[in-house]
This record gives sequence, structure tokens and C-alpha cells, in this order.
Amino acid sequence: MTRLRFWFLLPARLWFIVLFFAPLAIICAYSLLTRGVYGGVERPWTFENYRRMIDPLYGAILLRSILLSALATAICVVLAFPLALFISRATRRKSLYLHLVILPFWTSFLVRTYAWMFLLRDTGLVNTALIGLGFLRQPLPLLYNDGAVLLGLVYGFLPFMVLPLYATLERMDPALLEAAADLGARPWAVFFRVIVPLAKPGIWAGVALVFIPCLGAYLTPDLLGGGKSVMIGNLVQNQFTNARDWPFGSAVSLTLMLLTLAALGALYRRGPKELL
Amino acid sequence: MKRRGFLLGALATAGCRRDRRPRLNVYNWSAYVAPETIPTFEREFGVRVRYVTYESNEEMLAQVITGNSGWDVVFPTHNRVPPMASMGLLAPLDHRRLKNLGNLEAQFQSPAWDPGLRWSMPYMWFGTGIAFNRSVVPPPRAWADLWSPRLKGRLTMLDDPEDVIGACLRKLALPFGSTNPEELRRAERALIEQKRLVRAYLNAEVRDQLVSGDVLAAQLWSTTAAQALDAAPSLDFVFPAEGFPLYCDSAVILRESRRVELAHEFLDYLLRPQVSAGIAQSTLTATANAPGRMLLPDKLRTSPALYPAPDVMQRGEWPGTLPAAAQRLRDRIWTEVKAA
Amino acid sequence: MKRGLAIYAALAYVFLHLPLATLVIFSFNASRFTLWEGFSLRWYQAVFTDADMADAAWNSVIIAIVSTVISTVAGTLTAYALWKRGSRLISGSLYLSLVTPEIVTGISLLAFFQWAFRWLGWHLGLYTVVLAHISFSIAYVAIVVAARLQTFDPALEEAAMDLGATEWRAFWRVTLPALTPGIVAAGLLALTISFDDYVITSLVAGVDSTTLPMVIYALARRGANPSINAISALIVVIFGAIILISERLREA
Repeated sequence: MTRLRFWFLLPARLWFIVLFFAPLAIICAYSLLTRGVYGGVERPWTFENYRRMIDPLYGAILLRSILLSALATAICVVLAFPLALFISRATRRKSLYLHLVILPFWTSFLVRTYAWMFLLRDTGLVNTALIGLGFLRQPLPLLYNDGAVLLGLVYGFLPFMVLPLYATLERMDPALLEAAADLGARPWAVFFRVIVPLAKPGIWAGVALVFIPCLGAYLTPDLLGGGKSVMIGNLVQNQFTNARDWPFGSAVSLTLMLLTLAALGALYRRGPKELL
Repeated sequence: MKRRGFLLGALATAGCRRDRRPRLNVYNWSAYVAPETIPTFEREFGVRVRYVTYESNEEMLAQVITGNSGWDVVFPTHNRVPPMASMGLLAPLDHRRLKNLGNLEAQFQSPAWDPGLRWSMPYMWFGTGIAFNRSVVPPPRAWADLWSPRLKGRLTMLDDPEDVIGACLRKLALPFGSTNPEELRRAERALIEQKRLVRAYLNAEVRDQLVSGDVLAAQLWSTTAAQALDAAPSLDFVFPAEGFPLYCDSAVILRESRRVELAHEFLDYLLRPQVSAGIAQSTLTATANAPGRMLLPDKLRTSPALYPAPDVMQRGEWPGTLPAAAQRLRDRIWTEVKAA
Repeated sequence: MKRGLAIYAALAYVFLHLPLATLVIFSFNASRFTLWEGFSLRWYQAVFTDADMADAAWNSVIIAIVSTVISTVAGTLTAYALWKRGSRLISGSLYLSLVTPEIVTGISLLAFFQWAFRWLGWHLGLYTVVLAHISFSIAYVAIVVAARLQTFDPALEEAAMDLGATEWRAFWRVTLPALTPGIVAAGLLALTISFDDYVITSLVAGVDSTTLPMVIYALARRGANPSINAISALIVVIFGAIILISERLREA
């Protein structure tokens, strides 16, 4: 009976050891070692890399990552809710509306991020149009700042917020809304005191699906933020390439992992059991 | 069934299209060869060259330092050569195979960073200065002008710790190659102050943005600047008054290379006057090859950006390799400036 | 309220689709600047005649196909085995691999490969990219197939075994055919994820293994080239087609 299961699980076990556990173990080891003068990893063993993370400079990056992610998530909730409500209330073509939401997501993430570069550059579409229409004389610096990164994050992960919200709102019993209306509640009151609380599991699921990837975002802050170290992901990448400080990069990436797991833990308790 | 067979067959034949010719893997700076340089070499020697480009020494070193990057020939800047050699990353040059070595200019025959050219072959040289749009009035003349608030958001600095920290040190009238921690920290503070004005830290990639007018002033290498100036008459270039660094990009053969002889042939090929002149003409770089330079048209041979006059050269210096502790501190400072 | 919601939804859809739409529209722009100067296919021509891009596209295709096939098989077998009897270690690590940020997966694999290569003397190459892609795809496939298994009635397998089939035969002749649409959908999902990956690939790619996303990224960093619009439009169409097929199968 179990021989089949043994063979069937073998690929996963191999994957686990070679491609999952071993790499993480090496990163843990590296995070406690020292950087060679021009790169590379050498002894002595030390906690120096973790001590460097407490430095206000890196603390600021951590904080900025958390704040940007939280802000992007909050904006997603606000933007996604009416859209999810609309789809859940639609009488026909629900599937079409859902597909229209998912479709941009299923194209290349890189391409979608570049699309915003194309729009926001000084010589991009937005500026060219505004100057052409006479509203501006000089191009606005729309790209290479935190605002552009925020926009990119919201745009990239909005579908992730719409779907769970839609799932929850769809299951909502319309009788409850009628009851509230019958009791004299006005539309806004119905919305804030009945709909939103009932949608809470969906909101938390969406928050998890948006906040956590935002924390570890790399491409969006890199392309839209101008290559300055905007978020943790950029800091890690930089340490493993140009800065050649693998020990410090390892410590930062483990910190990112811990943050991710902490966020997951906190949200899991609030959200529905089937987070995915 | 039939469809599966077809797919498998297609994949198999695709794999068979592999080239049997020996292959040389060359990793070089972008815009450093003429369109015909590599194909001519491939044809003449019956080999294939995989030619990939990078934008910074750090990018190149990140791959090479592992000791098994797969590259045969790379082009570090001159002061990276001694540490690369001491780390055992380089294969010594066999001068018997480099018959054209005598073509190099006198100053490059036995430079301070590699006496006797044991490890490296000087290729192209340049200095760092300021490329700017003529619409900036008054025009920048010194590093200090790059701290001017009117350039906010339209200024870029190089993505190179040595150049950026060095420029800041010169602005503060401190030595370019300072190893004094106090002085370096002062430079760091000035750089973090400047960061608010900086649009991005870019190397040669900024050329397009200079040409299009997105960027008004950029700390730039003279050869990249020459390329930009050629594309847009609205641009100009200056070597700053406080002093500037001079660099020589040199070809080296990696010890891990399994095609050392072919690599030597390639270096010897690059030393030919016509080849060198062809590259210099196409890419607007300053060649270290004496007869090669003579083959260039007048306008290029005497270009002030590429071959500065002696009084300008006086202000320039060739940075040496820093001691380990100072290098560590500078790398740390660079990360902090980038992260600020 | 209904009308307000409809207007809002329309605006939201415009927001979601406009960036890509403009990208595609301007891929047909004759000018290299953002001013419309007439219809032209020159950028598509540039894309198709660029040898480096062709090389990179070819690499991307090979990597995507090989890694998808392997990870689909491995993921399906894993999902099935876990469905029969769970393993907290394996399912836990699969979930962990899903939530791990790409950059962490990438650098950990890079560190592991370089460490292993010190003993083996190998280089980074196509195969390291394939391994890396398998690494993150297995979890996706396993999740999709596991979801499909939830709707599969175990009684069917039991019936087959009661009639004398071995465990393997029951799987091969009863469960697997029923799972096939889900498996293909998972495979297509893995295909698009692999084809589009930039972060992990750029870290573990070697000398010869430049992929299409890497080429696009380098062009995007440089700032000014409309051939990105053309290649982007092509990718949008290709991905769209693949995903449409995948969705059809998933709902089958």
C-alpha cells in the first residue's frame, strides 16, 4: 500500500532537501559569517550582520517596506470593494466581469510594470498628453519615486483583493439587506453596518494576498523606484549582486522571511481557514 | 501519438543545431566594440564568440568572484586588476602570444597598476567628468555644481562607488583615494544630502535620457559622454576643476578559462591597429593603441573629451588600489548612501 | 446606487486595462517618441530580426517547457500522495515555498548552487534556471491538482480496487484521467509563471542562459526603446491565449 506513496512522494522529498532546505540552511549559515574584502564568504562567525539591521538606516528601509505595503493594501481594499460589490450584484455576465479583472494579471508582470514606466516617464504618455493639451509646460516627475512604486503595487495586486472580496460578497444573503432596509436603515448605513462586517473574512483574505507579496516586492520598486533601494527586496538583491555582501544580504533576507511569516501568522487567525 | 512524436522530434533537432566550433565567452562593457569586430574575429579564426555586456565593475565582479562564472575574457578597470590577481582569479598573460603588444602607447607599456603587463592588456581609457545640457546656465564647471538645487530631479550620478565617493571627496578638497575614516564619513554625509537631488544612479544607461533631455546633468565617463554629444548637439562635457579620475579598462583572461590560447588570440586581435581604430571610431572611445589612434580621423583624434589637452590631464589622477580596510569602509558607505 | 457602482466599475476596468492597451497601441507607432506619427510595423520587425532576442526567447521556451513538464509530473504525484495520506512536513514546506518572496528563493538557490559548484566545478547555466523554476513551480501545481482532487470521489478508486485493480492501476486508469483537465491547467499555469519569471532567473542564469524577461528588463532600464512595446504586445497575446485555454480546461 505505501510503496506507491513512497515513490510518489520521492520527487517532493528530493525537491525539499535539494531545492528548499539546503538553500535555506546555507543562507542561515552565511548570515552568520563575514564578507571577504572583495566579496565571497569567510570566517569568523559573527552576529554583526544582524546587528547592522538594527541600524536606523536599514530599519528605515524595513519600515518603509511595511508602510508602503500597508498603504498599498489599504488602497486596494477601498478600490476593490465597490468593484467586487458590482460583480456580485450583476445578474448576467458575472463570469465575464471576473475574467476582465483577472486578465491583466495573467499577462507578464514585467510587461505590466513596464507599462507604467511607459506612461509615467518624463517623455511618457501622461506627460506628453498633458503638455500637448497645454496643462503643463514642464514634465512632471511622475516616475522614480515612492508614489510610482505605490501605484505599481496597487495596480499589480488589485485583482488579488477583488477575488476574495467577490467570493465573500457573493455568498451574502440578500435577505439580510432587505431586513436592514425594512428596519429603516438608509443605503450608507446598510453598507457600513451590514455589508462590510459580513465581508470581513474576504477582506482579511484579500489583505493577506496583497500585503504579503508587497512586502517581498522587488521588480516594482526596482523599475518604478529608479534603482534606489526603496524596499527590502531591493536591498537583498543589491547585496547579492553589486555590493557582493552575501552575509549581510542573507541576514536581510532571513529577516524578510520572518516578517512574512509573522504577517501570515497574524492574518491567518483573522481570516478564513482557506486562505488560498 | 503522431503529434507527440513530432514535438519530440522538433525538440531533438533543435538540440542538434548546437554549434561545434570552439567558443569564447567574452564579458565586456556595453558599447565597447564596433559591429564588425566580433564577426570578423569569428570568421578569421573559425570560432564562435558569446559576447555579453555589463554596465559596472561590480556587476562583472559579482559573477567573476565566484571562480566559476563561465567567462574567459573580462574587462576590469585598471585598479581592479591587482586585487583580482592577488585573489588568484587571473591567468598570467603569455607575451609570446601577444605579438602586437608593442602597439600600446608608451604610458601603458608598464603602468603602475601592472608593471610589465603580467595580467592585463590596456584597452580603452577615459576620465570621469560632467555631461550636461547647454540649457543649464551657467554651465557646471566643478563637482560642487552637482550639488546645486536647481538640478533637482534632473541629475544623475554614476552607479559606481569609487567615482561617486571620489567626486564628493574632491568637492570637499579631500584626496580622491582617501582612506581616512573621518574624511570618508564627511563625504558620506554630503552624498546623502545630495541624494534628494539625484534622479537615479546610472552608468552608461543614462545616455538615452541625456539625449532626450530627461536628464540635464550627469556624472559620466568621457567616452559615454562623447557618444551622447555625438547624438545630440545640445549637450556638452567638462572635466571638473577640482580634479578628476582617469581610468584604463584592461582585458584580462580568467584563470578558470578553458580556452586560454583562444583568449590570447582574441587579445592579440584587439591589439591590431585597424581593429582598435575601427572600435574607437564606431564607439567614440579613446584607445590605448598608438598606431590605432593615428588611423583615426582628425576630429576624433583630437577630441577634447576623449584625448584631453595636457593642462587638463594635469588635474587628472589614476586611482590606485585601496587597502582592504578602506575598501570595506567605502563599500559600507556606498550601501548606506544607496539605501538612504 | 446601482448606477453609481456601474460607473465605478467601468472606471476600474479602464484603470486595469489602459496601461496595457496603450502599450499595445503604441507598439504600432511609427515614431520612436511618444507622439503618434502613423501606423507602422517597424518595431515588430526590429523584434523579429534581433538575434539576441531570438536567442533569449528560445531559451525561455526551452526552460519553460522542461521545467513545466518535470514540475507538473512531480506536483501531481505529490498532490495525489498527500491526498491519500497527508504529510505535514511536505505540505508545510510547499506552502512555505509559496509565501517565500521570490527574491529570497532566488538568492538562496544562488548561494546553494555556488556552494555546490565549489566541489563540482560546474557553472551556472540553463540547467540551474530549470532547477530553480521547478523549485517554485511544484508548489503551484500541487495546489491546483490538490484542489481538483477535493472534488474527486475516493469511492471511485475504492471500487476499482475492489474489482481487483492494484493501487497503481486505480490511479492510472481511474483517478488520473479524471484529473487530466486540472493537471493540464496546472501545467499551463506553471508555464506562464516560468516564462515570465525575472527575479529568480536573473540570479541563477549563467553565461548562456539569458531569457526573454532578462532582455526586456535590460531594455526597460535603458528607458527609451519602443521595441519593448512590440515584444510586450506579443507576450500579452501569447499569455492571453495560454490562460484562456487553461481556464477552459479548469472549468471542464
